[in-house]
Amino acid sequence: MYSLLRVIKFALQGLWRNFWLSLVTITMMLMALLSVTLLVGVDYIRQATIQGVEQKIDILISLQPDVPAEEVEKFVLELEDLTEVKKTTVITPEQNRTLFEQSNLSDQAKKALEIFEEGENPFSYSVAIQAYDLEQYPAITAFIDQEKYNNLVEDKSFHDYQSFIEKINNLSATVNKYSWYVIGIFVLISVIVIFNTMRISIYSHKEEIMIMKLVGATNGFIRAPFLLEGVLYALGAVLILVGLVYPLLGFIQPWLSNYFQSNER
Amino acid sequence: MIKIFDLSKSYPGQVQALKDVNLHVRPGEFVSIVGQSGSGKSTLIRLIIAEEKFNQGKLIIGGWDISGIKDQERPTLRRQIGVIFQDFKLLPKKTVFENVAFAMEACGFKRAEIRKTVSQMLALVGLKDKADRYPHQLSGGEQQRVAIARSLVHKPKLLVADEPTGNLDSINTREIIDLLKKINALGTTVLLVTHNKDVVNNLKGRVITLDGGYIISDQAKGRYLL
Repeated sequence: MYSLLRVIKFALQGLWRNFWLSLVTITMMLMALLSVTLLVGVDYIRQATIQGVEQKIDILISLQPDVPAEEVEKFVLELEDLTEVKKTTVITPEQNRTLFEQSNLSDQAKKALEIFEEGENPFSYSVAIQAYDLEQYPAITAFIDQEKYNNLVEDKSFHDYQSFIEKINNLSATVNKYSWYVIGIFVLISVIVIFNTMRISIYSHKEEIMIMKLVGATNGFIRAPFLLEGVLYALGAVLILVGLVYPLLGFIQPWLSNYFQSNER
Repeated sequence: MIKIFDLSKSYPGQVQALKDVNLHVRPGEFVSIVGQSGSGKSTLIRLIIAEEKFNQGKLIIGGWDISGIKDQERPTLRRQIGVIFQDFKLLPKKTVFENVAFAMEACGFKRAEIRKTVSQMLALVGLKDKADRYPHQLSGGEQQRVAIARSLVHKPKLLVADEPTGNLDSINTREIIDLLKKINALGTTVLLVTHNKDVVNNLKGRVITLDGGYIISDQAKGRYLL
């Protein structure tokens, strides 16, 4: 118990009485931690972006006007039998009208609805189809293109997000590749500086260690404060990192939320 | 207290530091070891405190044959021997009190006992009022007295002093030698390595002279020969 308390006391003394050396070591550790944290953060945003874009992909089928609800239901059941289909969403003519009215289209375009009589809805049923995988969309479109559905399907729009995703992936891979190089160089410099700092620290303590041995201190009693000092350096660096990153996250959090929400839509 | 039989030590490159050294030091003796630079004095001290290993022979300290001492046994040996050096070897980032206390803290003594013993030792060397100073705030003589206080906290049977006055002026030298005589009078065996002729001649005690790694003279009431 006495030894433990003394080890803690000596470690804190060492930390305080070698203030500048401690400061440099903590700064180096902090810089290495910051670069890794930034890299992880950027990678998380990249993954979230791709996931968001992938979720957006669907095939939107506009059905012929006056297709009765029963036929729509039957068509949807047949679609859902396909192993490639993950989810289908039926949009009623009323919902389509509401979506049109709430869309970003100009007022002039929206005025086009005025030519229809009250109660008359020019919109038809639509079905949004989502696949499990990007590569499964061609199979689904082939299914819809069958002749038996010609009278049912008026139009289909398959947003070709695949090329978009590929572009994002390529871009992020490039960014990642170079950011890893940059971070790698940075971490390497940090490691070299930390290594040198430690060597200087050991060198400056060489005489001290020898004296400790001369007065009968065991190796464990000599080593423990130095090890604890190292732990305290790391702890200090982590606490400063948290102190820096948390306010930063608080600052960019509204922007991040908006970004992720817009991707999930 | 010290029994040395046919002790030899050589360094890489065929440098023979000690050759067939035989020596007996009785408890309570004050022995001066003299010799020119490179005669093997400091090597002998390093072997006695187990800082280095010897090539052949036998070395017994207080009945303990340290010929095959293990690394983990060295701290136990060093707690039984007080050592002081020419360059004092104080911990620069610790105060006078902390420097002396460290030797006891390393052995797990209780705080109250440490405080009591350190105060006693600082009083013995006349530095009680400078307990809170750092080594760089002290004169050379004062730093050596701190080192002596530190070497005594374990109440060792043997005190080894390797050129303790080498960095001191004549007044401080006399004070340190008087202190060593006082410690010897209290029953501690003192082994003094020096090349200070006046110190040796004034002590009028046993003098062992080393030259080229050999003991060339061992006089009970000796003088500085070289």
